[in-house]
Amino acid sequence: MTHRETPATRARGLGINAGAFVAAFTASPTPMVLTDPRQRDNPIVWVNDAFLSLTGYAWEEVSGRNCRMLQGPETDARAVRRLRDAVSAGRPIEIELVNYRKDGTSFWNGMTVAPVHDETGQIVHFYSAQADMTGKYRNEVAMKDAHDELERRVGEQTADLRAALEQKTALLHEVDHRVKNNLQVISSLMLLKARRTPRGEARDALQGMAERIGALSTVHRMLYSTGDVTRFDLREFAEDFVSELVAGLDTDRTAVSAEIDSIAVSAAMAAPLALMMHELATNAVRHAFPDSRPGRITITAQRSEDGLRMLIEDDGVGLAGGTPNPAGFGRSLVEMVVRQLRGVIAWSDVAPGTRVEIVVPLDAISLQSAITDRAPGPEWASP
Amino acid sequence: MTETPLRILVVEDEVLIALELECLLDDLGHITVGVAGSSAEAIALGRATSPDVAFVDIHLIDGPTGVEVARALSADPHTTVVFMTANAKRIPDDFAGAVGVIAKPYSERVVAGALRYVADRRAGLAATVEGLDGFRLASATASAERHLPVR
Repeated sequence: MTHRETPATRARGLGINAGAFVAAFTASPTPMVLTDPRQRDNPIVWVNDAFLSLTGYAWEEVSGRNCRMLQGPETDARAVRRLRDAVSAGRPIEIELVNYRKDGTSFWNGMTVAPVHDETGQIVHFYSAQADMTGKYRNEVAMKDAHDELERRVGEQTADLRAALEQKTALLHEVDHRVKNNLQVISSLMLLKARRTPRGEARDALQGMAERIGALSTVHRMLYSTGDVTRFDLREFAEDFVSELVAGLDTDRTAVSAEIDSIAVSAAMAAPLALMMHELATNAVRHAFPDSRPGRITITAQRSEDGLRMLIEDDGVGLAGGTPNPAGFGRSLVEMVVRQLRGVIAWSDVAPGTRVEIVVPLDAISLQSAITDRAPGPEWASP
Repeated sequence: MTETPLRILVVEDEVLIALELECLLDDLGHITVGVAGSSAEAIALGRATSPDVAFVDIHLIDGPTGVEVARALSADPHTTVVFMTANAKRIPDDFAGAVGVIAKPYSERVVAGALRYVADRRAGLAATVEGLDGFRLASATASAERHLPVR
């Protein structure tokens, strides 16, 4: 027994001789090969049966040849270089290479190559154990194919969705165009009939309807021009609306001023709100200042805790002073709209004049946009 | 109306809109020299009448040919073209020689304002479109320079 115990000496100590190893290795299901670096070109000097069945060669065909005989066109030259460098340096290495069987078919060979030293420390052999890794690679390729396929399908679906969106946008555009054109036709129709109707109640009614359609048209135009079809800026509407109102007035006698906060309201609320503002302001213009009486109309709208608060005031003759309007269409229209918006309305005589206060709750979409108002999005940027 | 009346060609396929517009132009003290519903008719009428102003819709009887019409009519240096459409998105970047667009549905005030602007510009006065939300000018100043009328 030597003082230093090594696996070899331990084996000997256990009474296992070299023949036992040869028998074990030969019968091992793991393909193995032994080469002799002391001979020219490091030839194969021993292989086991598993190696022969993996490669399809007979012992006579591999004996005395270098292992590079297994390499072929698809073998990665860089991997071969790493293997060669390790062998020349006498370093162990683990590597995977494409190798070729005798019949020309290829397989992924996952191998460990290690130097075998004698008692003096000299390398006497290289020992290599192999494993066919083709299955693993096939899995990897299958995974990659599956991944590529998945990506292709996602790509296809994205293209489909994009096409659907384009179609939807085109449709929206088309519908928008038709609605606008129809509004213009309706308005033209009303005005044409008004022109051919003698001055009086009927003509006024037709013109009044044309103006209401005009107010709704303005809403529609603004909704679709901001690029955001879900919301509408009340101030933008009010500015345009007041310009329209003032255009039809003797402004020396009646002054109209509006102080409207920039409030984004949902598309659903836009039309009723616009109609309400139109009714109240035109009502004031028509009825508050009879007999060329001069006066002033003020429209204010602010966001309040309860929602949207609007105030329409004039310093005219007041509710009691006006000629009673039997139909009272304007007023009932306003009350209907306020009910639709689930708001409250209060009419009061303030001597001089009339004061109408309306509070309507804002719906979810309007409230949501109220938050974005604090950090204005591009949709409200002026062109 | 103290200003000289403008001679206006209306290119519009919707008869009711055209008729009402004619009445409105008459109210404003202008003269409608013709109404055309198709591109061929519009171009022929433009040649025959050499109008001061042409209001041009994009969609005509023969399709979205208004752009083509605007290009042909604005080739006459005497004519100032204004689009009048619900389909402003179809207007090319160079406005096809037009000076601006009146968005449909329009109000009488916007039509009057746009005509006042055009008249001022033709007279060489400083013109403004302030407060006319429904009338948008061609963005490129180039088109404005190109189509200053020769008197």
